[in-house]
Amino acid sequence: MFTVSSLTKSWTHLRVLDDVSLTGAEGTVTALVGPSGSGKSTLLRCLNGLETFDAGEITIAGHRLAAGPHAPGLLERLRRDVGMVFQQFNLFAHLSTVDNVALAPRVVLGLSAAESRARGLELLDRVGLRAFANARPATLSGGQQQRVAIARALAMRPRVMLFDEPTSALDPEMTAEVMGVIVELARAGQTMVVVTHDHGFARRAASRVVELAAGRVVRQGLAADVL
Amino acid sequence: MKLFRRVLSASMLGAALVSTAAAADLDEVVARGELIWAADQEGGGPHVFPDPANPQRLTGFEVELAALLAEELGVKARFQQGQWDRLPLLLGRAADCVINGIELTPERQRDYHCSRPYFAYSLQLLPRRDGPLDTFHTLASPGPKGRWRVGVLTGSAAESVMRSRTDLEVDVIGYDGTIDSLEQVLTGVLDAAVMDDCIFNFYADRFSRLRTVDRPFAGGFYTILTAGDSPKLSAAIDVAIGRLIADGRLKSLYDRWDLAGRQQMLMLRDAAEIPVARRKSLGELARDTLPLLLKSAGMTVLLSCLAFPLAVCIGLAVAVGRMYGPVWLRPLLTAYVEVLRGTPLMLQLYAIFFLLPKIGLALPALVAAVIGLALNYSAYESEIYRAGLKAVPLGQFEASLSLGLSKWQALRHVLVPQAVRIVMPPVTSDFIALFKDTSVCSAITVIELTKRYSVLALSTGRIVELAVVTALLYLCMSWPLALLSRWVEQRLERPAAGGGMTEG
Ligand SMILES: Nc1ncnc2c1ncn2[C@@H]1O[C@H](COP(=O)(O)OP(=O)(O)OP(=O)(O)O)[C@@H](O)[C@H]1O
Ligand SMILES: [Mg+2]
Repeated sequence: MFTVSSLTKSWTHLRVLDDVSLTGAEGTVTALVGPSGSGKSTLLRCLNGLETFDAGEITIAGHRLAAGPHAPGLLERLRRDVGMVFQQFNLFAHLSTVDNVALAPRVVLGLSAAESRARGLELLDRVGLRAFANARPATLSGGQQQRVAIARALAMRPRVMLFDEPTSALDPEMTAEVMGVIVELARAGQTMVVVTHDHGFARRAASRVVELAAGRVVRQGLAADVL
Repeated sequence: MKLFRRVLSASMLGAALVSTAAAADLDEVVARGELIWAADQEGGGPHVFPDPANPQRLTGFEVELAALLAEELGVKARFQQGQWDRLPLLLGRAADCVINGIELTPERQRDYHCSRPYFAYSLQLLPRRDGPLDTFHTLASPGPKGRWRVGVLTGSAAESVMRSRTDLEVDVIGYDGTIDSLEQVLTGVLDAAVMDDCIFNFYADRFSRLRTVDRPFAGGFYTILTAGDSPKLSAAIDVAIGRLIADGRLKSLYDRWDLAGRQQMLMLRDAAEIPVARRKSLGELARDTLPLLLKSAGMTVLLSCLAFPLAVCIGLAVAVGRMYGPVWLRPLLTAYVEVLRGTPLMLQLYAIFFLLPKIGLALPALVAAVIGLALNYSAYESEIYRAGLKAVPLGQFEASLSLGLSKWQALRHVLVPQAVRIVMPPVTSDFIALFKDTSVCSAITVIELTKRYSVLALSTGRIVELAVVTALLYLCMSWPLALLSRWVEQRLERPAAGGGMTEG
């Protein structure tokens, strides 16, 4: 489903990613672990084109990204197939939760208002938040917001989902409810890449674990072997 | 509320003028050694204007007249600049007298002390040579484009004479500058101008494509105004004018200025008494002024409600263009903002209304006013929206992109709606500011409430009563506006509720 080969990226003098290669098959969950500043977020953001890179190549969900600047059209097509969930949720503050979920299907896929709303409600149902369809994101708890963010990304029916530390801004109780949703997705066969510090989760849900340190892959393999 | 306060303070100032200001009478002028006379040098020749050879120096027949009068009083003459239609307001405060082509009218006799006449003017109709107007009588029936459009100086006798001629098929348009109307006849915006013959004679070479039609159709006399409570100064000025006429100094002054001295002397000799106007009762005042004030209030609302939405749309587009547009466009938009912010609104309106016709683009005054206000305010709105867009967290943009939205879709559906909400308070207060700034449009003949107030207050002498009415009118307008903007603010703060997918 995705292949990263010899990816290299620098911020001015600092080499953030250094010859990184990994692959993930369809239906697998890849956990990205490593100390702070090791380049996990950068790698994840390269996967959906939020960052450019200096050398190497990425293929993901049938799209190919080369080094240097990306063409906007390519990125828009790629991102329909690659969803992302952020550490800080980044829900659209001016829209109700159901409109947060329904926006991209309507605007990007051209669904009618009724169809996109139906899809929004169905996904809110799936993350257990249908009752909050008309609430403002700001009135929800962190865990609820992150579940809406997951529903929002799923609304595009992406082939790959990227999670950047989806629970590190949450307290343990809310972490559990969000992790529950992600584990559920894994069971349903969703291909995912999850940046996490939570080794328990990695052991439980990840098919493979990739450990980065100072921009290099230091270990990768089955969760049980690496951790 | 600011408006209300502004009009109130204007009215209090007016009240002070009318009742309490102690005018400088003759003793004080003599003690000071200076006769301070007020005029508007912008009014131009031949009255008072900067000497072309030395623009630091003023010249004009009234400059020389003031010097002669001062000499008669045994003092020096000192010039005080003021805006022509408001010169009488300077009396007793900044000036002892007004000498500036002020026509002797029944109303002025009632409100000020008017000296004996010192000059006889006559009114001329001034169309283009190649136009269809060849006699004054033609104005009695509609022209090829309907009613004739005739320009006059606001507050002048030409204006009141033309406005009183309801028998003519004429729309009278008031200008703040003496020769603005001549310019507008040249560019075809007006069919003709009406003004004192001595002014046109003075500028006849510059406007050689215009001509006089028939003999003058009306006329009267210029008078020197002094404050109502300076009887000794008034008497002294009358005596001085009499001496200047008797010993021929006034005649030779007029001859030097090519103003037909002998004819002037004959007309001054035959000057008939002009009646003093009666003070209107409150009922008459209301009947005569309320409809005009209401109409002008409507103009204020119309200007604000047309110009502001336009300003907001342009401003938003400029802000987005500067932040997300093509790289080559950004410096151009920055220049647009800086030019519009860095030059006065008055100048922009003037350019749109008076200069565009010179390149063949003559806009109606209302359109020019709306465009001018909208462009000027668009610069300020764009800065506000730029700040608003910057205040939307970067994560909102990245989240939009990650869902497959293009940059423009993200702007349209996520960034702009949020920025609009963030900047709602400053934008609302700009609406109120624009509401007030509509008064600048009087410079291009659009008469809104403030201008109407000042014209009516001066012509009726009822500064206080009209100020109260005007203030109430402003209040009646700004109150609903305040409610409306609060309603919009609240509406935007709510999420898109229920079935709708409503964005900004
Ligand atoms: N925009 C940027 N400009 C310069 N340096 C950056 C930028 N973004 C990240 N970096 C640097 O790149 C390195 C890797 O950052 P990254 O966010 O990928 O690490 P991470 O593994 O996700 O860390 P954490 O666990 O703290 O989230 C860090 O040293 C960081 O300071
Ligand atoms: Mg990170």
